[in-house]
Amino acid sequence: MFLVLKTRLLFVLLTISLVLSSPGTAQAYIGPGAGFAVMGSFLVMFTAILSALMALLTWPIRYIIRTIRNRKALSKSRVKKVVILGLDGLDPSIAETFMAEGKLPNLSKLNEQGCFKKLGTSIPSISPVAWSTFQTGTNPGKHNIFDFMTRSPKSYSPILSSVEIKGSPRTINLGKYRLPVGRAVIKLLRKSRPFWKILGEHGIFSNIIRVPITFPPEKFNGVQLSAMCVPDLRGTQGMFSFYTTKIDETSEHTGGERFQVVQDGDTIHSELIGPPNPFKENGQVLKIPFEITITDMSSASMRLNGKLYRLDKDVYTDWIRLKFKAAPGINVHGICRFLLLGVSPEFELYVTPINIDPAKPVMPISHPRVYATYLAKLNGTYATLGLAEDTWALNEKVLKDDDFLTQCIQIDKEREKMFLDALDKVRQGLCVCVFDGTDRVQHAFWRHIDKKHPVYDKDKLEGRDAIEEVYQRMDQLVGEAMVRCNDRDSVLMVISDHGFASFRYGVDLNRWLEEQGYLKVMDGKRPEKHLAAVDWSQTSAFAIGLAGIYLNIKGREAQGIVSPGEEADKLRREIAEKLEGLTDTERGETAVVNVYNAMDVYKGPYKENAPDLIVGYNRGYRASWENAIGLVTEAVFHTNRRAWSGDHCIDPALVPGVLFCNRHIEDDNPRLIDLGPTVLDMFGIGLPGYMDGKALAVAEPD
Amino acid sequence: MIWRVSIFGFKTFETNETQCNLTLYVKSSIGQDNLMGVIAKIMAWVNIPSNIFGKLLLAPVGVLQGWFSITIISAVAGVALLAVFKYISDQETRGKIWDSIHAHMLSLRLFKDSLSVTMRAEAQIFKGAFFLLVYSIIPLLVIIIPVTLLLAQMGQWYQVRPLNVGEQAIVIMKLNHHMGEPFPEVSLDAAPAAEVTAGPVRVLSKGEIYWKIRAIENGKDRLFFNIDNKKVEKALSVGDGFSRVSVERPGWNWTDILMYPLEKPFGADSMITSIAIDYPDRESKICGTNWWVFYFFIVSMIFAVTFMPVLKVR
Repeated sequence: MFLVLKTRLLFVLLTISLVLSSPGTAQAYIGPGAGFAVMGSFLVMFTAILSALMALLTWPIRYIIRTIRNRKALSKSRVKKVVILGLDGLDPSIAETFMAEGKLPNLSKLNEQGCFKKLGTSIPSISPVAWSTFQTGTNPGKHNIFDFMTRSPKSYSPILSSVEIKGSPRTINLGKYRLPVGRAVIKLLRKSRPFWKILGEHGIFSNIIRVPITFPPEKFNGVQLSAMCVPDLRGTQGMFSFYTTKIDETSEHTGGERFQVVQDGDTIHSELIGPPNPFKENGQVLKIPFEITITDMSSASMRLNGKLYRLDKDVYTDWIRLKFKAAPGINVHGICRFLLLGVSPEFELYVTPINIDPAKPVMPISHPRVYATYLAKLNGTYATLGLAEDTWALNEKVLKDDDFLTQCIQIDKEREKMFLDALDKVRQGLCVCVFDGTDRVQHAFWRHIDKKHPVYDKDKLEGRDAIEEVYQRMDQLVGEAMVRCNDRDSVLMVISDHGFASFRYGVDLNRWLEEQGYLKVMDGKRPEKHLAAVDWSQTSAFAIGLAGIYLNIKGREAQGIVSPGEEADKLRREIAEKLEGLTDTERGETAVVNVYNAMDVYKGPYKENAPDLIVGYNRGYRASWENAIGLVTEAVFHTNRRAWSGDHCIDPALVPGVLFCNRHIEDDNPRLIDLGPTVLDMFGIGLPGYMDGKALAVAEPD
Repeated sequence: MIWRVSIFGFKTFETNETQCNLTLYVKSSIGQDNLMGVIAKIMAWVNIPSNIFGKLLLAPVGVLQGWFSITIISAVAGVALLAVFKYISDQETRGKIWDSIHAHMLSLRLFKDSLSVTMRAEAQIFKGAFFLLVYSIIPLLVIIIPVTLLLAQMGQWYQVRPLNVGEQAIVIMKLNHHMGEPFPEVSLDAAPAAEVTAGPVRVLSKGEIYWKIRAIENGKDRLFFNIDNKKVEKALSVGDGFSRVSVERPGWNWTDILMYPLEKPFGADSMITSIAIDYPDRESKICGTNWWVFYFFIVSMIFAVTFMPVLKVR
C-alpha cells in the first residue's frame, strides 16, 4: 500500500516538475483538462472567500439591527437556548419502571437535575391533535385538528384533517401533453400560530425538525422540516409495494400494493409505480421498469434507472434515488429502499413508499425550501414521508418484526443526525425535534409485552425487548442532548405527546349506533367502506376515524337530518349518556370510560368542525379498524389480531405524556398545551391572549 | 573528485570526498539530460499517430469558417474530456465532497445570523475545496496528455496564418553553437513558393542566422538549407484561409517537439537547434493568434458543464 502511494507520489511530483520546467508551454495546460479538475476547487474557494468577507462585513450591521429590534425580548429573556426533544408516545409508567431498573440513566439524571412529571395530553390523545396543541398553545377548537382524518361534509368520505392538496386549477392542452397553469394548492388546515412564529417575530431563531402537522411548512424566523402528513410521491400517506411470485389468496388488503410477478429463469421484470403524470391526459401513471436477476438463494441484482444494485436477503438497500420522466426535460424525483424478503420457493420483494427526494423536493417539505436539501447534502438522504415507519407493511405481514424494527432504527438514526446538527448550529434560540420511533415500536410490539393481548405468544421471545430497547436508545439520545445543553442558560425538555396502552379490542361505534337506532345501513351495502353503506336519510349519528362520533346535522352535512341547536345538543347528551360505560359483555370489561361533548371541551371558532362526541376508551380498547375507515360491521367488539397492538387513542386521562426538564418545574399538573406559553415566557415574551395554555414556573438553575 | 547523484533527472546531489556535504541542485545536467532525451524520443513517437489523427479529425478546419470549426472542436473536446474525467476520477468521493461543500454553503444562508456557524461553515468549505483539489490531481495529470496533444494540433491551424503571396517573413535558424567556435557554412536555396530577399544575417552572440523570404506562389513547399554540405529542410505554407502551418521545426527538446509536432525534430547531436518562420498573426478574437486558446477554454468548459448532468458527472 505504502509502496503504491510512494510510486503515485513520485509520479505526481515528476509530472508536475516536468510541466513547471516548461513555462513556455503553460498555455497548453489551460483547457477542460485542467478546468474540470481545478476550476471547481478554485470556484469554491473564491465563493467561500467572498461569502466569508460578506458575512464578516455585514455581520456587525446585522447584529446591531437585530439587537435594537429585539432588545425588549433579549433584556427579559431568562434563557439563551431551549431544546425540546419530543419522543412520541413515551409512556410515563414504562419510563418510571425502566428508570427504577436503572435502564434509563440519562432520563434518571435529568429527573435528578430538574424534574420528571406526567404531562397532560390533548382531547383526544392522538398525535396530530396533541402536537398541534403543543405548537399553538391552544385547544383543538382553535387549531382545528381533531383527528388524523375528518369527514367531508359533502360526501361523508374520509379526508386528511391537516392538509388539502389540489392540482393546478387550469391546464393547457398541447398535443399529447397538458401544461398545468398556476400553482398546485397545498393548504395547511391547522389554524392558529405555532409559538416559534411568535419567537421569530421577536428575533429569536428556531430550528424545528419533524414536529407533526407542520406540512406544508410555514414561513417564520428559523428553519423547519415538515413531518406528519407529508405525502409520498404518489400522494398517499404511505403506499408500500410488494412484488411476489406467490399467488395472492387474500382479497382484502388495507394498505400497500401487491404486484404479481413472473419469474423467467432467474429474471423478473416489473415496474415501480410513481405519481400520476401531471403533463398527460387522464393522469397516466409514471413508471420505472426494473429487472431483477436472482444470483443465489440469498441475493439478487437489480437494474434500475440504468444502474445496478445488489439486493441481499433481509438487508435493506440504501435509499435509492428514482427519476420519473414526466415530460422532456422534466423529472419527478423520489427515493425508496428495497428489501429482498425471499428468493425461493417464492420471490418476495418489499419496496418502501416512494418518499419525496429531500435533495430535489417536488413540493415544499421544509422552510426555507433548501433546508431539506441542506440536510440531505450534509447527512445523506433521509425519509421524508410523514409517517415514515411502514406500519402498514407490518400489519399486512409483508414485513417481519425485525424488518420493521430495522426500519425504525434507520429512521431514528437519520433524525439523530439532524437533531445533533441543530443543537450544534443553534447557540441561541429554540430547537425542537420529534422522534417517532418510540410511538411506532410501541404500536407494533405491545403484543409482546401484554400477556392479555389476543396475539400474545408466551413462547415467542423475539420482539419482547423491542420497547425496552427503543427507550434505551432514546435515553442515549437524551444523554447526547444533555451534554450539549450543560450550560446554565440552556433549558432541555424531553416530552411526549401521550402515553401508551394495549389495543386488544376494537369498538365499531357505527354498529353500536346502528343497534341504538341512530344509524341505518342500506340493504346489501354493508361491506362498503367510507360510510357508503349508510342511509343518510335515516341516520342521525355516525363515526369515522379514531376520535369519535359526528352528528348528521342539517346545513353542515350534505344530507343532514338533525337540526342544529337544541335537537343536536339533546342528541349529543343522549348518545354520550348511553355510550359512557359501554361494557364488553363477553369479557366483562368497560370499553368506554368517558364521552366528551365537543361543545363543552372545545373553545374557539373551529369547534363546529370537531366530532360532536369524543370517545374516551378504556385501556385495552380503541375504535376498531373498521370504524376508522367507515365500515359498518355486524358486531360492536372486534378482536385485534394485527401487529398494531398498542395504542393511545383512548381516554386522555389514561395516557398522559412525560415531561422531563433539566430545571425544576413547580406546577404539579403540567399540560402539553402549556409548553408553548412556557417557552415564550422563558424568552421574556408576553403570552398572546388567544393561547389557552399557561406558562409553567420553571425554576432558575441552582 | 565530484560525485553527482541524480534522481529521475530533476534532483541532483553533489558531494566531494573531503567535505562530504550535499548540495541540492534544482536544475541539473547529466541525469536531467538523459531523462529529457527519453521524453523527447517519446514525444517524437507520440507525434506520429497524433499527426495522423490530427490531420484526419481536424481536416474540416480547412474548409469551414474559423469560428465554426473551433466551436465544434471545443464543444466535442469538452464533452469527450468530461466523459474521460468521469471514468478516471473518484466520482463517489467527489460527490460526497461536493455534497458537503453544498451543505455548508447552504448553512451560510440558513444560519446567516450566527457568526460561529458562518465561520465554521467557511472552514469546512475550504477543507472541501482543498480535498477536491487533491482528488483532482490524478485526473488532471491524465487529462493533460490528450488535451496537450489536441492543443498542439489545433495550434498548427489557428496560432498563425500562412504567408500570402507577396508577403515577407523572417526565417530563423538556431544553431547549437558555442562562442569562440567557428560558424558553420549555411545557405538557403530558393524554393518554388518563396524567394530569398535578404540574408543570411548571422548573430554570433545568439547563435542564430536570419533570412528574409517573400512568398511568390500558393501551396505547401519546403525550404532547403545547406549546412556544412548537409541538407536540411523546413516546411513552408503559402496561401489564403486555413491550412496547417508548421511554425517551427524543433530541436531535441521535448516541449518544442510537443508544441511543434508537424515536422521531424532535429537530433540531439544536430548542429541545428531549430528552424522557425515568423508567420503573420491570425487576426481574430475567436480563432486568431493566442485568442483561440481562450475561446477553446471557455467553450469547452461551457459544454462540459452543460453536459455534466447528462453524463452524470460530479
